[in-house]
Amino acid sequence: MHKEAAIREPLILGDKSYHDITNDVVGPIEGKASKTWYLLVSIAGLISLWGLGCIVYLIATGIGVWGLNKTVGWAWDITNFVWWVGIGHAGTLISAVLLLFRQKWRMAINRSAEAMTIFAVMMAALFPGIHMGRIWVAYWVLPLPNTFGSLWVNFNSPLLWDVFAISTYFSVSLVFWYIGLIPDFATIRDRMTKPLAKKIYGILSFGWSGKAKNWTRFEEVSLVLAGLATPLVFSVHSIVSFDFATSVIPGWHTTIFPPYFVSGAVFSGFAMVLTLLLIMRKVMRLENYITIKHVEYMNIVIIVTGSIVGVAYITELFISWYSGVEYESYAFINRFSGPYFWAYWAMMTCNVISPQLFWFKKLRTNLTFTFIISIVVNIGMWFERFVIIVTSIHRDYVPSSWSMFYPTWVDIGIFIGTIGIFFTLFLLFARFFPVLALNELKTILKVSGEKYKKEDH
Amino acid sequence: MANNKKYWVGLEELHETEEFQIAQENEFAPSKSVDEFLSDTKDSTDPTSRRDFLKFLGFGVTAATIAACETPVIKSIPYANKPEEITPGIPNYYASTYYDGNDYASVLVKTREGRPIFIKPNSSSGQVLNARINSSVLSLYDSTRLRGPLANGEPSSWVEVDDKVREGLKKAADSGKQIAILSHTIISPSTKALIGKFKEKYGEDTVRTIAYDPLSYRGMRIANERCFGEAFIPDYDFSKAKVVVSIAADFLNDWLMTGSFTSQYASRRKPEGEWMSRHYQFESIMSLTGTNADKRAAIKPSQEHDLALAIHDELAGMMGASKAGAKTDELPMDLVKAAAKDLYANRGSSLVIASCNDPDLQVIVNGINQMLGNYGSTIRTDVELFVKDGRDEDVAALINDMKAGKVGALLCYGVNPAYTWPGANAFKEGLEKVDMSLSFASWGDETASLCNYVCPDHHYLESWNDHYPKTGQYALTQPTISPLYDTRQMQDSLMAWAEMDGNYHDFIREVWKRYAGEMAQEEVLFDDFWYNSLRRGSVYVELPSSGTPEFDSAALSRAVASAKSKKAPADGYEVVLYTKVGIGAGTQAVNPWLQELPDPITKITWDNYITMHPADVESFGFKMHYGQELPASLAKLSLNDVELTLPVIAQPGQKRGTVGVALGYGRGANEEEVGRAAFRTTSNGSFERDSDGKKVPIGANAYPLVSTASGLLVCHRSGASIEDTGQTFSIAATQTHHTLMGRSSVLRDTDLQQFKTAEPSTYNPPHVLPIHEGGKVVDKAVKEVDLWQNHPVEGVGHRWGLSIDLSTCTGCSACVTACHSENNVPVVGKDEVRRGRDMHWLRIDRYYSSPMNMELAEDEGKGVISAYREMEVPQYDNPETIHMPMMCQHCNHAPCETVCPVAATTHSNEGLNQMTYNRCIGTRYCANNCPYKVRRFNWFNYKAYNKFVGVNPAQDEMARMVLNPDVTVRSRGVMEKCSMCVQRIQAGKLDAKMKGKPVEDGAVQTACAEACPTQAIRFGDLNDTKSVVRKEHEDKRAYYALEEIGVKPNVSYKVKVRNS
Repeated sequence: MHKEAAIREPLILGDKSYHDITNDVVGPIEGKASKTWYLLVSIAGLISLWGLGCIVYLIATGIGVWGLNKTVGWAWDITNFVWWVGIGHAGTLISAVLLLFRQKWRMAINRSAEAMTIFAVMMAALFPGIHMGRIWVAYWVLPLPNTFGSLWVNFNSPLLWDVFAISTYFSVSLVFWYIGLIPDFATIRDRMTKPLAKKIYGILSFGWSGKAKNWTRFEEVSLVLAGLATPLVFSVHSIVSFDFATSVIPGWHTTIFPPYFVSGAVFSGFAMVLTLLLIMRKVMRLENYITIKHVEYMNIVIIVTGSIVGVAYITELFISWYSGVEYESYAFINRFSGPYFWAYWAMMTCNVISPQLFWFKKLRTNLTFTFIISIVVNIGMWFERFVIIVTSIHRDYVPSSWSMFYPTWVDIGIFIGTIGIFFTLFLLFARFFPVLALNELKTILKVSGEKYKKEDH
Repeated sequence: MANNKKYWVGLEELHETEEFQIAQENEFAPSKSVDEFLSDTKDSTDPTSRRDFLKFLGFGVTAATIAACETPVIKSIPYANKPEEITPGIPNYYASTYYDGNDYASVLVKTREGRPIFIKPNSSSGQVLNARINSSVLSLYDSTRLRGPLANGEPSSWVEVDDKVREGLKKAADSGKQIAILSHTIISPSTKALIGKFKEKYGEDTVRTIAYDPLSYRGMRIANERCFGEAFIPDYDFSKAKVVVSIAADFLNDWLMTGSFTSQYASRRKPEGEWMSRHYQFESIMSLTGTNADKRAAIKPSQEHDLALAIHDELAGMMGASKAGAKTDELPMDLVKAAAKDLYANRGSSLVIASCNDPDLQVIVNGINQMLGNYGSTIRTDVELFVKDGRDEDVAALINDMKAGKVGALLCYGVNPAYTWPGANAFKEGLEKVDMSLSFASWGDETASLCNYVCPDHHYLESWNDHYPKTGQYALTQPTISPLYDTRQMQDSLMAWAEMDGNYHDFIREVWKRYAGEMAQEEVLFDDFWYNSLRRGSVYVELPSSGTPEFDSAALSRAVASAKSKKAPADGYEVVLYTKVGIGAGTQAVNPWLQELPDPITKITWDNYITMHPADVESFGFKMHYGQELPASLAKLSLNDVELTLPVIAQPGQKRGTVGVALGYGRGANEEEVGRAAFRTTSNGSFERDSDGKKVPIGANAYPLVSTASGLLVCHRSGASIEDTGQTFSIAATQTHHTLMGRSSVLRDTDLQQFKTAEPSTYNPPHVLPIHEGGKVVDKAVKEVDLWQNHPVEGVGHRWGLSIDLSTCTGCSACVTACHSENNVPVVGKDEVRRGRDMHWLRIDRYYSSPMNMELAEDEGKGVISAYREMEVPQYDNPETIHMPMMCQHCNHAPCETVCPVAATTHSNEGLNQMTYNRCIGTRYCANNCPYKVRRFNWFNYKAYNKFVGVNPAQDEMARMVLNPDVTVRSRGVMEKCSMCVQRIQAGKLDAKMKGKPVEDGAVQTACAEACPTQAIRFGDLNDTKSVVRKEHEDKRAYYALEEIGVKPNVSYKVKVRNS
C-alpha cells in the first residue's frame, strides 16, 4: 500500500477511525432526511417542473417560442448546452486524470464531482435534443440502418461528432462513477437494517463481497477506465468547440478553440464543484474530509485554467487584428464595443479578473470568498458561450441581416428549469448515495504523520 | 417464324407427373367445400386454451380500437370527364390583362387543374409586371370577398336585386334625377359601348359617367390642353432619353404606365451599352426612383415650381431665350445647373417629367421639353395614353349634386370614394341623399357598406374584358376559372339592367367585329382574329402619326406668371403623400403577400408611417432607430381638421421640413368587411381591438390629407404640424441595419467614368491569396485555392446559375412577390417579421452610403471603433442607395451542406444546393453557417398554428387554392430556402427530354428572373457556353459576393455603375 512520509499533512482531519468514516458517510443515508433537505428538494423539484412545462410548451408549439430569428439561429439553447458540458468536465478530470497522477486528495471530492458531471452532462444533452425543430426524428442523428433507402448521417458535420463525443463521454463517466460506487453500496448494504433498502443496495452493489480478488479487479477496472476517460476529458470539449471552429462565421472560425474550450470547461467545472461542495461540507458536516486544503487545490486549478482562458481571449483579439481580415476584426471589435459589449465585459471581469484574486493565499483559503468567486466564474463562463455564439452571428458578413437576440420567458424558463433538475438530481444523490468514496478514503487515512492527528481540531 | 420455346410453371409440368395430369383435368384446385369445412369436427372440438383465448381477446380489442380511430377523410373529386385541355400536373397558360384603374399590364396566367396560381408577364407584349400585379392572383381566392349580391346589407339573390335595381333606375330616370356611374378611368371600348346602350335605355342626359382616379393626373391633361389644345397624356419613351430629369415623379414605382417605363429606363442603364442614361431626381421623399438616380437632390414640394423655372432659366440662358426669373435662393443650384447642362447637351433625347398634379408646373415642364425638342422623340406625340383620365372637378360636382339631392342613382365601379376621396364625409353625406346607391365592389368596403345594393363584380381572373390603354394597343382579359362565388361581372349587371340580351362576352365580340378590320389590318376571318388575339392577349396596330401638335407659348408665359405668383407655403411641415410599392393606392391592401412585402426603401412591412429627415427626428426627440424591441415614436400629424397618429421613421434623403406618408393604409377603419389582412392582429392571431371593441386597421388613411384646394387632387400640402404623443409603436422591418460598413466584397459600385477608363481590377478587384508554392510566395486567385474536392459539376451536364446586374436592379420587388407566389412561401405577419422571422426566400438588401469610411477615418486620425460606429450611420442628406437581391447563392462549397448532421441539405449534380425537407431535423446549424443569411426556418406550423390564421393564405380553405402544387408546403421545424425554382428546372428538363433536344437557354426561368422587369436577374445553365448567364458570369463587371471565403457561389453579381 501507498506510504507517505511522516511529515506529510494528512488529507483527513479530526483523527478519524475507519469506523468513523463509515459512520460519517453512511449515517445520513440510514437516518431520516432533514427538513432542510425536504425544503430544498421541493424548491428544486418545483423549478424542474416549471422547466419541464416550458419544454413541453416548446415541443408542442415550435422553436418560435424562443427568441431566435433568421440571423441568430442559436442562442440560449446552445449556450446552455456548452455551459453544462463544460461543467461536466470537472468530475472526470478529478477522478481520471488525478487518479493517473496519483493525487490522493481527489478521493474526498471525486464522488460528488462525478455525480455532478453525470447530471451536468444530462442537462447538456437535453439542449441539442430540444433545440431541434423536429425532436421526434432526433434519432436520425444516429447512424442506424434504416428503411429510408441509402440515407446515412453526414460524418462531416461537427454536430454529429458531438453526438458521439457526448454519448461516449456520458457512458464512460457513468460506468466509471458506478464502478466506484460498488464497494460503497456494499458497505451500506451490509449495515442496512431496513429490508427493502437492503435489497436495493444489495442489487446496486452487484454482489460485492470485499474479497481481495474483488479489490484487485476494482483497482484494475478503475485504472483502465481512467485511461479511457482521460482522453475523453479533452476530446469532448474539443469536439464541442468544433461546432464553431469548423464554421465560416467570423468569431467562430478559430483554430484556438479546442484548448481554449477545454480549459474553460475545467475552469467552470471546478467552480461548480466548489459551489456544490462548499455547501455540502457544511450541511453534511464533512469539514474533516473536504478540507481547506482541497478548496485551495481547486482554487489553484481555477487560477491556472482561468489564466489560460484569459490568454485565449487576448490571443483571439490579437489574431483578429493581426489577420487583417475585415470580417474577423470587425467581429471582435463588435464583441467588445458593439451592442453586446456588456456581455463581453461581464465575461472578461468574471473569468479573467476575478480568479486572479486567488493568487492571494488569504483569499483562496477563505471559504466565503471562494464560494462567491465560484459562482462568479460560472456566470462568466455562461457569458463566454453567449458571447461566442450570439455576438458572432448577430452581426456576421452581410450587414442587411444584422439583428439582435432577445430571450423570451421560455428561453429563461428552460435554463432555470435545467438548474432545478440538476439540483434535484444532486439532492437525491446526496440523500441516497454515499457522497464520499468511503472505501477509497480509508486507504488514505493512515498515510501521513501521526502528529497532525493529535493536534487540536 | 414458329416459336419453339416452351414455358412451364413447375417441374411437375415439365416432367408431366401423374399427379400433375390428374390435377390438370380439374380446372379449379380441389378445396374443401363450406359444408365439409363446417362439418370438420377437428377444428370445433379442439378446446380453446386460456392462452389462445387471451390472444384472441387481445387481438380483438386491438383491432377494434384501431378500427375505431377514424382517419380523416379528404374528399377529392376526380374529373368524370376530363376536360380536353387539362392534364393533371401540366400547367396551362392563358394570356389576359390586368387593369384596376391604377396598374395596367398584359399578363400570362398559369393555371393548374383549372386554378390560376401564378401571374407572369406576357413577354410578347413587352410589358412587365410589378409586385402588385403578380400578387393579384391571391385576391381571387380571398374568402372574405362577397359571395353574392347584398341588398341593404343583407344577402340577397340576383333576381331580387335586379328587379329592385331596375325599379330604382327607372324611378331615378322618371323623376328627372341623374343616374351617375362613378368609376375609375374606363379604358374598355366594349364597356364604353355598353354604357352607351345603358344610356339609351335610361336616357342620354340622365346617365352620367364620371371617371375618378384617386391618384389624379388631371393636372397633366389640363396642362396639355393649355399647351396643345387637347387634354391628352402622351406616351413617354425612356429608352430614347439620354438625360432624365424627374421632378418627384416616381416613374419606376407608380407613375402612368410604370410597366413600360421601367423596362425602357433599364435598357439604358447598362454601362456597356452605346450610351448610358443619366438620371437626375429632385424630390422630397426618398422614392424608389430616387434611389436609382445618378444624381439626386431633396427639395420641398413647394419648391417644385421654382425648380422647374430654374431649369427653364438655365436652359434659356444657354439658348439665348428669355428667362422667367426664377427664385433660386434655396434650390440645389449646382445640381440644377448640371442637369440643365446635360439636358442642353442632349437636346431632343432628353426628358423632363414631373408628378405634381398642378397644371402650371406641368405646363412649365412641357415648355422645357418643348425648348429641348423632346416632343416627337422621348415624348411620343403619336401615342396617347388613355389611362388616368379621371376628372377631379366632375367628382366634386357630382358630390355637390348628390348633396343637393339631384342624383337618383349612383353606381360605383372600381372606386371607393368613401375611403379615397379627401372629403369623404361630404361624399357620405351626399350618398345618404341618393335614392339608390350601388357598388360593384368585391368586398363590403368603405363605400359598398354604405350603399343600398352591392353587386359584387368578378375578379379579373373570372372576367371577360377588353382594353385600349394607349393608341394602337388593344388587349383582352379572359376568364381563367369559373366564378368562385355567386358574383356577376359589372358589365353583365349593366346588361341585365338595360334589359339587353346575351352576355358581355358576346358583346365584346360584337364590338371587336366592328374594329376587326382596323385592328387586324388585313382581311381575316373574325374568329381567327378573335382567337389569335385571345391567345396573344393583345393586338398592336401602328397608327399613322398625327404630327407634333402646335405648342402654345402663351400658355407657358401664363403658367410662369401664375407659378411666380403662388403663395408661399403655410408654416409648418410640408406633407408628401406617396404610394408604396406593395400597397399602391390601397385597392389590394388586404393582400397578405403585399402587406408582408418589405417596402424597398424602408424595408418595413405591415404599416405606413411618417418619414422624416433624421435631423428633424432628432429635433423632436423621436427615436432614431427601430428594431425588434426598439419601437418607433408615435407622432400626431395634424393639418386643419385632419389628424393622423403614426409612427415616425428617420428617412435618410428626405427633405428637411417635409414628411412623407403612404396612401393606401387604414382600410376598414369602421370595421368594414375589406378582408382579413387589413386589420392588426395580436400575437395569438386574433384581431387587435380598440377600447370600443372595434378591429384596428393597419396604418392610417392618408387620403384625407390630399389637397383639393385648386379643384384638383394634389398629393402634397403644407402647414402640417407634428406633435409627440409620448407613445411608442412597434415596427416590423426585415432590415434594421442600413449601411454596408465598407464591405466591398459584398457589394461593389463604381461610376461610369471609372468603368470606361480604368482597368476592371480597380472597380472589381479580384481576390488573391498569397500561397507558398515551391518555396516561393505566389499570389493565387481565391478560386484556385481549395481545401475541398470539387463537386463534379463543371462542364458535366447542367450547372444552373443566376446572374444579377446591380446596375439595372431598381429594387422594385416584383421578384420577391413572384418568388412568394411560386414557392408557397408562408406569410408570417407583423409580429413575426418584427422578430426577424420573415420567410422570404428572396430578399432585396438596401444599403445607404455612409459619410464615414476607413480611409477617411485614417486621415482624420479616428480610432477604428469610432470609425465603425460612424459607418453604421447612413448619410442623412442624400445617400447613394443600392438594391441587392439576395437569395441562396447555391455555393459549390456550401458551408450549410457540411454542417448538417443528417445530410438534409446536399449538392445536386447540377450545382444546386438542395434542401430535403423530409430529412431535416431542424438544428438550424446550416442557417448559422450561411454567410449570406438566406436560410429560413419554420419556427411554427404556419399552416395550422392559430397565430397565423389571419395572415397566412395556407390557413384559409379558399386561399389555399393559390398554392403551387409543385412545391411542398413546409412543416414546422424544417429549414427552407431558395431552390432556384427546382420544380421549374425539372419541368423544363422533362419538356426538353420529350422533345428530344437539349434544354435551350431561356427555356427554363426562375420565378424571379421571369418577373424581373429589367432583366437584371438572369438564369441559365453555366455549363452551356453560349448561355446568357454564362456570359454574364464571365463579364468584367461580374463578381461573387464574399468570394474570398471560398464557398464558390453559382450566383454572380455585376458591379453597379452610376453615371454620376
